[in-house]
Amino acid sequence: MRVLLEYTREERVKYISHLDLMRSMQRAIRRAGIPIAYSQGFNPHPVMAFTSALSVGVTSEREYADIVLTESMSIAVLKEQLNHALPKGITLREAIVIDEKTPSLMSLVERADYELRVDLLDKDQTRQAEIDWNKAIEAYENTAEIWIEKKSKKRVSTVNLKDGVWDIRIDEENPSLVHLEMKLGNKGSVKPDSVIHAILKLSEQLPNPEAEDLSDLRVSINRTGLYFQRNGKWITPLALKKG
Amino acid sequence: MDKLRLDHIMGQVTKPVRYMGNEYNMVVKDPSQVSIRFAFAFPDVYEVGMSHLGMKILYHQLNERDDTYCERVFAPWVDMEEKMRQEDIPLFALETKSPVSNFDIVGFTLQYEMSYTNILNMLDLAGIPLLTKERGEDHPFVLVGGPCAYNVEPLADFVDLVALGEGEELTEELLDLYGEWKDSGESRNAFLERSAGIPGIYVPSFYDVSYLEDGRVSEIIPNNSAVPKRVAKRIVRDMDSVYFPERIIVPFMDIVHDRIMLELFRGCTRGCRFCQAGMIYRPIRERSPEKLLELAEKLVRSTGYEEMSLSSLSSSDYPGLEQLVRQLMSRFEEDRVALSLPSLRLDSFEKEFIEEMQKVRKTGLTFAPEAGSQRLRDVINKGVTEEDLVKTVSDSFASGWNSVKLYFMIGLPTETEEDLKGIADLAKLVKDCYYQTDKEKRQKGLKITISASSFVPKPFTPFQWEPQDTMEQLREKQQYLRSALRIKNVDYNWHDSEVSYMEAVFARGDRRLGQVLLSAWQNGARFDGWTEHFNWDAWKKAFEDNNLQPEFYAYRRRKKDEVFPWDHIDTGVSKASFLWMEWQKAQKAETTPDCRLNCTGCGIQRLGEGLCQ
Repeated sequence: MRVLLEYTREERVKYISHLDLMRSMQRAIRRAGIPIAYSQGFNPHPVMAFTSALSVGVTSEREYADIVLTESMSIAVLKEQLNHALPKGITLREAIVIDEKTPSLMSLVERADYELRVDLLDKDQTRQAEIDWNKAIEAYENTAEIWIEKKSKKRVSTVNLKDGVWDIRIDEENPSLVHLEMKLGNKGSVKPDSVIHAILKLSEQLPNPEAEDLSDLRVSINRTGLYFQRNGKWITPLALKKG
Repeated sequence: MDKLRLDHIMGQVTKPVRYMGNEYNMVVKDPSQVSIRFAFAFPDVYEVGMSHLGMKILYHQLNERDDTYCERVFAPWVDMEEKMRQEDIPLFALETKSPVSNFDIVGFTLQYEMSYTNILNMLDLAGIPLLTKERGEDHPFVLVGGPCAYNVEPLADFVDLVALGEGEELTEELLDLYGEWKDSGESRNAFLERSAGIPGIYVPSFYDVSYLEDGRVSEIIPNNSAVPKRVAKRIVRDMDSVYFPERIIVPFMDIVHDRIMLELFRGCTRGCRFCQAGMIYRPIRERSPEKLLELAEKLVRSTGYEEMSLSSLSSSDYPGLEQLVRQLMSRFEEDRVALSLPSLRLDSFEKEFIEEMQKVRKTGLTFAPEAGSQRLRDVINKGVTEEDLVKTVSDSFASGWNSVKLYFMIGLPTETEEDLKGIADLAKLVKDCYYQTDKEKRQKGLKITISASSFVPKPFTPFQWEPQDTMEQLREKQQYLRSALRIKNVDYNWHDSEVSYMEAVFARGDRRLGQVLLSAWQNGARFDGWTEHFNWDAWKKAFEDNNLQPEFYAYRRRKKDEVFPWDHIDTGVSKASFLWMEWQKAQKAETTPDCRLNCTGCGIQRLGEGLCQ
């Protein structure tokens, strides 16, 4: 039985790394007594796969993991037991049975949505940054290519940031909230904070124009969902539900 | 605490998860609903501190009390410290992020001497005056415990209370007293006086130390009539009834010992003469197999851990170990819990047993012959022979192990070049054992690691009278081993001699070293146990500025009846009738048998009738 889990990573646990999260999920599954399958071989490990890693410090409303069980069990029971065994701050929202032959989630997912809030942080008070997002987005749209340096463990490469973005827009009701739709799964993928940095720099709104990162600002980033396309429509992994 | 500001700096430091808390099984309480707030402080980073069994026990035990909330505090790593100082964020506890200065008691555990500057740094970050005499009625009490508390003299100026021996019963009594005292409205000093009435509590400020002209201690006498002349350590008698947590915090990040630690017993009967733990944790007290199985069961359920280690000073000495391991294996095979035995001795490690252990997962194999020749192993009373080693490693190679780690010490008393050569010979012997193992059976990729630390004479051991090798001598020996161990498949690790030197100075230090410690910290010393942070210049300058010679502490041979700075502390083991006699035997390479076989008269029974089982 293959089960897809949809869970959150909330504010109180947002500093855990992808590896920490995987380990925590494995242990929670063990505590919950869910009959997870183990790989064969010299060093057997639980059969589970995760979607793209979430950066340290970013919260998420919808993350996904895919596990294989050795025997079938009621999804309602699984949900209850796993939620009970998870650390506070990681909440299982949904669990569905998916077809055994479903390709890996990592290979399916193409888009990650984020909402961002940026504040200025003064020595003695916290106040909302007076950022003109219209100006920032305009600068973004009027620049054909935005080349940034992307550092990986091995090397530094230069990528066109615009290749990594599906869409960027201001929230209709809250002018200080920005929605970002990022591309996932190809080499060109970039991080949301790189986008913010680039467009604030382009529109000359960085508090410190020379700053290479956003450490002068307080940036809250929240992932709201992961999507892939099917028949020309964006759908969430929950659409994989079997039957 | 400005949580937004804290959150902001956490976004800018390495491994912010160290400061996050909120792990599974973390205890959550409302601080306004308790009368005692206890900060359990570990003077090193999270991943080191969280690996410590004593902290796990006391954290969960103290939180069983309705009147107490025990929270955890660790040393912020250097990048975090810098940000905290920049942003005026005081040292905080992980659970509630409250400033440590708001707590009633701050308890540091002293696991190694080279963490002392971190204690000063943490007190400073907390805004607590470093010197006890500068603390007022509103400041927390600073309590220390752990192995280095037996000679706490270098820290005497900075700590209010010292807990000697095992903490489970002692800390409860101290908190009971604290609760009463807090309601009474009496002075800070009154609490210290009343605490000193609890067996095992030592209040350094109630003792005066005088020195001879040459720097040796003349005498240590109480300046308060309410305190005993000597303070004896506390011993928990019954390991089955003493508290042991049934759930423990499961960290998010990968910590040094990320597993369930099942404590088999306390104490050790072997009597290795270099080993302070073997002397100060006497006598031997075992947990019953029934209790261990029960705890294992509960801990596996409550943590989800995939690995369990059987811990003690010498786990293979546990009676019925094989049966226990078999029971644990069959019980947890289905749950895929791997078992590991970290401190194995060669002589009681059977082949069948090795195979049993690797059913679930392979863990590394480590052995500690400690010295390269039989003569020197007799001097240190490490009852292990070459035959033991040959048999065990051969069995291990035949069972599919391909990497072996061997621990040695250099600079042991009476060591000669012959003994050093013996280390290289043993490495070669292990290599031969591998190539003599059936090709079908052995795994490819042999790796032998020889790790040789520098011997540090410790107080309360038979070698406490002896000088440490000088740094020059140690470096020459390391150089010798480096060339002697240039063998394919063999790696050689060694320790910085400056760090071992400072460790030796503070291990047998006196109160005067408090000033040196303070100066070294002011000169920038911290995380001294981390090679990349050890600041030798800060230490050299600290000694010069305070007119003290480190050689006096590390390189001096003491006379039999010298008054040691720690003589007013009673570990139960007799200085004159046991430790000195053991040192005499050591010089003749005479061994002392395991005291399970025959009482060796160490003196521990003075601390209580029927202590030895």
